Amino acid sequence: MMRDHTRIEELLAIRSLGGLDPRDEAELEREMASHGPDCEECRRLETEFEETAGRLALALNPVAVREGFAEETFERAFGPATGGAGARPAETRRRGWLRPLVGIAAAVVLFAGGVLVGTAVTGEQPSEKTVLTFQSETEPGTLAAAFTPGSSGVYMVGTGLPTLPQGKVYELWLFTGDTPASAMCATPTSDGSVFGFSDASLEGVGLMAVTVESSACPSAPTTQPVFTAEVSA
Amino acid sequence: MATTLLLERADVRTLEEGCVTADLSEARDRELVQRIGRGDEEAFRGLFGRYAPSAMALARRVARQPFLAEEIVQEAFLAVWRNPSGYDQQRGSVRAWLMGMVHHRAVDAVRREESQRRRVEESMVSDPLVSPDPADDVADRVDLPEERKAVRAALDGLPAEQREVIELMYFGGLSQSTISERLGLPLGTVKSRTLLGMRRLRGAIGGTAR
Repeated sequence: MMRDHTRIEELLAIRSLGGLDPRDEAELEREMASHGPDCEECRRLETEFEETAGRLALALNPVAVREGFAEETFERAFGPATGGAGARPAETRRRGWLRPLVGIAAAVVLFAGGVLVGTAVTGEQPSEKTVLTFQSETEPGTLAAAFTPGSSGVYMVGTGLPTLPQGKVYELWLFTGDTPASAMCATPTSDGSVFGFSDASLEGVGLMAVTVESSACPSAPTTQPVFTAEVSA
Repeated sequence: MATTLLLERADVRTLEEGCVTADLSEARDRELVQRIGRGDEEAFRGLFGRYAPSAMALARRVARQPFLAEEIVQEAFLAVWRNPSGYDQQRGSVRAWLMGMVHHRAVDAVRREESQRRRVEESMVSDPLVSPDPADDVADRVDLPEERKAVRAALDGLPAEQREVIELMYFGGLSQSTISERLGLPLGTVKSRTLLGMRRLRGAIGGTAR
């Protein structure tokens, strides 16, 4: 005899539209679990409602994507284009992205030499380190980068940072000229501290910036920087 | 009588042609996803060109912020590029899978926004689903006209009270409890209207995954 699926059907219908509250989400999980992984009726209902909901999007008039958006997406997927007639307007975009940085004060060099951030982690002998504090016009807390000039590797250390939305991370970018390269992604802990290390080369880097990105760690920044720090030559 | 039969046959033919078109369309989508799985950049460009306008419409409708909508759409397509094996044809069509990813991301984003209610209220007043739209030329370039008609007809065919909760939930990004508060309805009524409406829609547009 087939079990009753009325409640599961109702919850699946609402979930497929994105409307389920957390409490009902938990109930749905319990109900589905009680039916077991081999419940064909559960799978059928789930599939059909997801299919129905997915097709609802087609009720909307399509919206033309702005010029350049496709190329930006392809660049993030495939990597930078190599030029030619169909070269992507990546430099234009990068410069546009950089515009808000103009006017942001240069980072303060707290001190140089004898910084033990790296030592504490790696156990190596102390070496000449530079610590830069990032500047921010919007974010509370303190964020700093520690590195040895001329060497590869940079630590990102922060305290008192706000909790990021679910699925979001801080991503550190190293700018050579106006070209950003992703160095690392890090998520603040519940007490607002963050720590990360990247072995990226700092050669030619003149600016560090941090943006809030999706946890997928995109290969090019998609949001405005929330922290910036200029790196002295 | 003869006229009626003629009309019925014409309707059947149109319906069959629509199904065949949808089958071919879905087969092409699946082939694109398979090629993406082999790292075929042209296939990714093809899928993007085919569905980005619809994805953007959905993201903008739910998130109400063009910049945020772009991020949502881009992340969804990048997810396809990075993990095409996430698509399981036993679980439905490529377009439903893709739009589901866009929708989930958009809902996550909009739930983080405190001004959600105001945006939705504005959208419901100023942005009807199928009003004449300057982007109609885009619709003409995206080859899903029959499916669009079917979806719109299915929505229009719902009783108003069912359509209202479904549109608020799907296009407005509202939760069932928020809808209950906004409409002054018991939560159970919102749930039952959603279920009844979705059953009708499932029968009309999503009964079986191809």
